[in-house]
Amino acid sequence: MSTRMRKLERHGGRLFVYGCLAVLATLYLVPLWVMLITSFKPLDEIYSGSLIGLPKQITFEAWSKAWSTACIGTNCVGLSPFFLNSLIITIPAVFVSTAIGAINGYTLTKWKFRGADLFFAVMLFGCFLPLQAVLLPIARVLGMLRLSGSTAGLILVHSVYGIAFTTMFFRNYFVSFPDELTKAALVDGAGFFRIFFSIALPTAIPIAVVCCIWQFTSIWNDFLFGVSFSAGGSSPITVALNNVVNVTLGRKQYNVDMAAALIAALPTLIVYVLSGRYFVRGLTAGAVKG
Amino acid sequence: MIPMTAIKRYLAAQLPKLVLAPSGMVILVAIYGFIAWTASVSFSSSKVMPIYDFVGLEQYIRLWSTPRWHVAVENLFVFSALYLSIATLFGLFIAILLDQRIRAEGFLRTVFLYPMALSFIVSGVAWKWVLNPGLGLQKLVRDWGWTSFTFDWLVNPNYALYTIVIAAVWQSSGFAMAIFLAGLRGIDNSIIKAAQMEGASQVRIYVSVVVPMLRPAFLSVIVLLGQIAIKTFDLTFALTNGGPGGATEMPSMFMFSATFERNQMAVGAASAMMMLAAVVAIMVPYLYTELRKPSNEH
Amino acid sequence: MRSRFLLLGAAMCSMVSAAAHAEDKSIEVIHHWVSDSEVAAVNTIKQELEKRGVVWKDTAIGGANGANAEQSLRARIVAGNPPGAMQMLGFDAATWAKEGVLRDLTDLETASGGVQSLPADYRRLAAPGGKWVEVPIDLLRSNWIWANKKAFDAAGVSVPKTWDELIAAGEKLRKAGIIPLAASDEPWQIAKIFDSLIVDLNGPEFYTQVALKVDDKAIRSPEMVKVFEKLRQVRGLVDDNFVGRDWAVATEMVASGKAGMQVMGDWAKGEFLAKGLKPGVDFLCFPTPTSTPNFLWAMDSFSMFETTDPSLRAAQDELVKVLLDPEVQIKFNLIKGSIPPRLDVDMSKFDDCAKQAAVDLKASIEHKSFLGTLSGGYAAEPQFASIFKEVAAKFFVSDMSAQDAVTLLADEINNAR
Repeated sequence: MSTRMRKLERHGGRLFVYGCLAVLATLYLVPLWVMLITSFKPLDEIYSGSLIGLPKQITFEAWSKAWSTACIGTNCVGLSPFFLNSLIITIPAVFVSTAIGAINGYTLTKWKFRGADLFFAVMLFGCFLPLQAVLLPIARVLGMLRLSGSTAGLILVHSVYGIAFTTMFFRNYFVSFPDELTKAALVDGAGFFRIFFSIALPTAIPIAVVCCIWQFTSIWNDFLFGVSFSAGGSSPITVALNNVVNVTLGRKQYNVDMAAALIAALPTLIVYVLSGRYFVRGLTAGAVKG
Repeated sequence: MIPMTAIKRYLAAQLPKLVLAPSGMVILVAIYGFIAWTASVSFSSSKVMPIYDFVGLEQYIRLWSTPRWHVAVENLFVFSALYLSIATLFGLFIAILLDQRIRAEGFLRTVFLYPMALSFIVSGVAWKWVLNPGLGLQKLVRDWGWTSFTFDWLVNPNYALYTIVIAAVWQSSGFAMAIFLAGLRGIDNSIIKAAQMEGASQVRIYVSVVVPMLRPAFLSVIVLLGQIAIKTFDLTFALTNGGPGGATEMPSMFMFSATFERNQMAVGAASAMMMLAAVVAIMVPYLYTELRKPSNEH
Repeated sequence: MRSRFLLLGAAMCSMVSAAAHAEDKSIEVIHHWVSDSEVAAVNTIKQELEKRGVVWKDTAIGGANGANAEQSLRARIVAGNPPGAMQMLGFDAATWAKEGVLRDLTDLETASGGVQSLPADYRRLAAPGGKWVEVPIDLLRSNWIWANKKAFDAAGVSVPKTWDELIAAGEKLRKAGIIPLAASDEPWQIAKIFDSLIVDLNGPEFYTQVALKVDDKAIRSPEMVKVFEKLRQVRGLVDDNFVGRDWAVATEMVASGKAGMQVMGDWAKGEFLAKGLKPGVDFLCFPTPTSTPNFLWAMDSFSMFETTDPSLRAAQDELVKVLLDPEVQIKFNLIKGSIPPRLDVDMSKFDDCAKQAAVDLKASIEHKSFLGTLSGGYAAEPQFASIFKEVAAKFFVSDMSAQDAVTLLADEINNAR
């Protein structure tokens, strides 16, 4: 093959790569685009049938309404207080479940005992449990712990049902972490926790990031637990969002719906934008190793 | 009398198990205990609230003679097969493209990942509009002049399920992409170089050298997407709510409406047990093969 | 940014202090009213209650026709943490009464004049076994047709007296370039048409057999085949973009003259009124066409949960009185678009459509054609009602034959028995 042919092939290849990426990226952005432009349109324009086109008139009214005056039932306070609730629920739950996952993963791989793999398999099954099926027993236990309808109850539930995922992430990371390092530390007299905190954990930051992103996304976006185990003012943002969006017998305010939806999605979007790089790096560090 | 050091040594040896014990207890109760509870309800005559009597397999028989459940099960199989394969392929394809040392990789990666960040309560409406023939894509293309263009899957009971596949692929193929990209970054470059030296074309290198090396990544993708497929609820709920005419019913929706709308709690519990049985049937062989490997290595 | 946080903090402090004031007498109420007009209506109850010294603590859970709220309620009852009161639809109250978690309100409702003034058919759901367990706030009619007057004039059609006339009128509208019927594929919207057809074509007696008694013979009868055949003809009046269409969008089509008619409950009226359109001048409201004065009803009610806390009981008592107060019922329904469930309320402040509903209501009670709506869950029990709804929707969007639909319906219902 002549060099010119090769060059041509390479150029053609580049063109193909960029062309494909451009087309795919555009397609992936369509729903976000629709949501954004809708949130800037006046309601009349939407009801007259213009859904996908550019707004004829741009207004920020829907955004301010969604944030501070939209009615969640008879409380017309917008999403802002619920946004705070979600943060109060999500941050501790992410932290707790990730911490438990880290120590579990470390123990299951570096301090292997008979049945460790079985233990892990039994735990992993929890990822697949359809949670609607176990709502009532959870409610019963929360009632017995006197945590029904409280933020603390939601933090507990999210932490518990996150353990299976977080353990999986860390176990898969620590499996490929060289045993020599821990063994050497053991010989030097370091104990279980010492090795965990000063040797294993510092190297596990990338996977901890992955784990946090995963947990943050699923807890922030949870509706099922939120609607079942919170009451009135303690609801997370998804429950409030549902009340704004899921109007059956009233007139739908699509622009406010979209603005509210985007506000509700903002933290997760920011997390993905800021940590996308660490996400792939963290996965490279080990999560993909089966 | 046992010497103190012996106790200490014994405790130290048991430490790993002690550390895992709380998690183990929690899992035992919150997952297996509650599954057992669900099982007991599925054998009862519970309607609105749980009753703990025993009616044998009555609710399972009722479940399997409900046409709606058959539709749901069939849909789950079709959906899972399409969703898993398409999302995996898309994720792999995009990952390979992004791995070609391109500009703006960070931006593009975010574009493909962001759908994962949105809950479907959020993006469902946007998808509904895009897919609606009178409002979205079909209208747009027709307005551009291609008047015979038809894309009415959302309206058509025979095709509506595929629109859910589209939306689901959109939502999570980025996640598959991230895992594959990570896998690709982990591959030793010298292997690819060697193949290039032998004069193999780029496509060939990927098909016969790189992709087989991504096997662990494939398995991670299948587990993480598989659990999404089985639990699919929000997606269907927001996009079609099971319609048109029940054509996109899914097991998780069936369970929800039996339990909370139709006061057939025991039937709902039976359907949950069937879903778990399906998970066991698929997961156990996978876990068996997967977990044997690393333990052999170590 | 900082001032924003301060504001937020101040707002929260004020919420906390409001809650603190409430300590003496307050009641948490779960409901699924979340749209603007619904919220405005609920506020009339809330304000009246607060005038009487009881604070209303709001837990709104919208969506899924109340199934989300129902899910929350079950979790809370299992946890031993029920709310003070909750909005109830259809068989909800009767079902919970059986579980023994609802307060017996018979004495309170008798004292407030509710028992004497509410339509008798309501007792079937509100007073199972003779004990009253719920209080209604509104009465809705689901068999309305809303039409665009100009479209009717342009096509030269008048108010139809039978479904055949309606279909013929639809053809004329189509020729005039107007979509005859604005509809959706959402099962509950299709079921509105379906319910009306059952009673309009075959009479109240037949409706009772099918929808209330869920009688297998009646369901398998040729009359039922006729209902599905007519539904197929009605499907022909709908445009192709009906999937996922919001009812309010369909109403908008009628209001703007793009479509001629819509079958929908009273709440559609609010959409016309909000645009400044006038009943009789710009838009028409008439019942689905039939020979008897059929009235398919639904009511929103509240139940009080059993409690030993005396201050909560006092708050519940007050709420019951407020709900049955004729003035509150008037204020609430003027906003919501429905009519007061008490039959002894002065209707003079209401618009013409509501007045007609009140007149039809009394006529229908006389003719024994005041019937609970099937699709709304006020006729057959929920496990059956949902099947009617699903089969009607399935039939509407596919090309199933009427006979197959009847067989499917009857078989599914037998399976759920």
